[in-house]
Amino acid sequence: MKIFNSTRSVPSGRWSPGMLHPLPCSRQRLQHSSAKKRSTVGLAPFFFGLLFMLTAIATEAPAGTGSGELVVRPQGPVASIAEAIELAEPGTTIRIMAGTYNERELVISKKLTLTGEGFPVIDARNEGFILKVLADSVQIRGIEFRNTGVSYTRDHAALLVEDANGVVIDGNRFTDNFFAIYLATVRGSLVANNHITASGTREASSGNGIHLWSTWDIEVTGNTIRGHRDGIYLEFAKGALIYENVSNGNLRYGLHFMFSDDSHYHDNTFSNNGAGVAVMYSKNVKMTGNRFVENWGPAAYGLLLKDISDSQISGNLFRDNTIAIHSEGSNRIAVKNNHIIRNGWGVKVMANSQNNVFSSNNFIENTFDVATNSRRNYNTFEGNYWSRYDGYDLDQTGTGDVPHRPVRLYSLIVEQNPASLILIRSFFIDLLDLAERIMPTLTPETLIDEKPLMKEVNL
Amino acid sequence: MALMLLLFAIASCERGPEQIHYGSEECAYCRMIISEPQYGSQLVTKHGLVYKFDSIECLAAYDMSGEVQADHVHSLWVPDFPAGPEWVPAEEAHYLHSESLRSPMGLSISAYSDYDEAVLHQQQYRGSVIGWDVVREIVKQEWRLQHSQN
Repeated sequence: MKIFNSTRSVPSGRWSPGMLHPLPCSRQRLQHSSAKKRSTVGLAPFFFGLLFMLTAIATEAPAGTGSGELVVRPQGPVASIAEAIELAEPGTTIRIMAGTYNERELVISKKLTLTGEGFPVIDARNEGFILKVLADSVQIRGIEFRNTGVSYTRDHAALLVEDANGVVIDGNRFTDNFFAIYLATVRGSLVANNHITASGTREASSGNGIHLWSTWDIEVTGNTIRGHRDGIYLEFAKGALIYENVSNGNLRYGLHFMFSDDSHYHDNTFSNNGAGVAVMYSKNVKMTGNRFVENWGPAAYGLLLKDISDSQISGNLFRDNTIAIHSEGSNRIAVKNNHIIRNGWGVKVMANSQNNVFSSNNFIENTFDVATNSRRNYNTFEGNYWSRYDGYDLDQTGTGDVPHRPVRLYSLIVEQNPASLILIRSFFIDLLDLAERIMPTLTPETLIDEKPLMKEVNL
Repeated sequence: MALMLLLFAIASCERGPEQIHYGSEECAYCRMIISEPQYGSQLVTKHGLVYKFDSIECLAAYDMSGEVQADHVHSLWVPDFPAGPEWVPAEEAHYLHSESLRSPMGLSISAYSDYDEAVLHQQQYRGSVIGWDVVREIVKQEWRLQHSQN
């Protein structure tokens, strides 16, 4: 794919907070680190050697010493962040004291740590971007970013990181920005514990909360995002790890995945988003332990799968969604141990989805447990619990004695003629469903759970 | 009944682009919610059906997919990038293919009714000014690769 610039190599290890120098070097990086070395004079020689070998950043040591620190306060000698960035030697920690700084279009092109004390506010007053990071190993903590301008180029983010490695964005607040955090061609970085809100009401004038474009091994964790277009957006984000985030009340998707292979997202909560969560055009994606709840609307899904393959969906909760899982053009997905409860549709599998296996899931009180648009079936349903199943287990094996047909005839009628939904509680429909179950003529013949469980799966 | 038929006939005579409800309508090709007026596009059939897309690349891909037979296609419409949703026939528009203007499906294609506007944007955002045929070619090449696993 053209987009993956071939001059860059993909780092093999994943970034983790404990690793200081995890990444391969680029030319910029070498120049950068030699500058760094000058500032670490006085450290033991062996340490020098180590530094050189790793071609990495000067350690945290100089930051702790008095000379490596700069203080910005509203009435202090250094009163603006722009000035502090200008003055600071590489490796400096800039402490920003509480207060409001009306600044914008700040650019960091050397290794710095920006730490806010008492949540200082940088307010761009609805014009331009706020902070652009173009250097490796920059850390941004404890700062509130407010009011970027609106524009359709990537520059208009509160915090834009571009062409960098090992950046840490931890514990900040983002309020009413167009894009909040935007990472473009970034590797091995961390976005953690940020609180992101926007009050945009129209999707078109609102950007994404956390936007990753063309990234490798980024970790996104512990963030809360509300009121953006997409809460978390990934495009060409290889090896992303997204966990324990809460993405609620965003205008479009809580999480939106495009062309992002080998990624894993787990233990996140996605609720009340305009259209739920969309995972598109990716392979080898793991989705585990997430909560997809209350995504209601004509085009809303708990989880929309479009052209996804070789992936895993397990241990998730899908509750009160219009459609819990909608699968289109998606193949070889293992859907296991999920709790699918009180949705309009539990699972909608389009005919172009094949070789997916649904096992050990609980389908409870969904209006339609499974729906499809075809008489043929290329997917496997086995050993699920269906609250709608009314067979017996006379031989005491734990599975019902007669197979279960989860597709109601009525769901096919609704698929072809949505207006017929009005008949949903009628006796006639019950009769129709019963007749079809006894003598299937229109529903997919092979879409059968041969071993329906008699008891819910404990999850 | 006859009156209704007549009304129906009149209503279906006027064929052209419709308003897109951004933020609630789905792309007919990729199923994403259409949300950016600078990129949302549409295809109108001779029967008066309108298919809407979140991006120019989806319009091109759908048109080439044969989902709607070529002789049933009435017209294709793309939005003029500088003017917001002002509709231009796809074949007559000029396009900028520039990585700095990132369209929803990642192929970075924006449309212009006016050639000079396209060149002006090219000066700002770099990239190349191309025609509809090249747009189709780009989509064909880029997406054949990406979708080949299915």
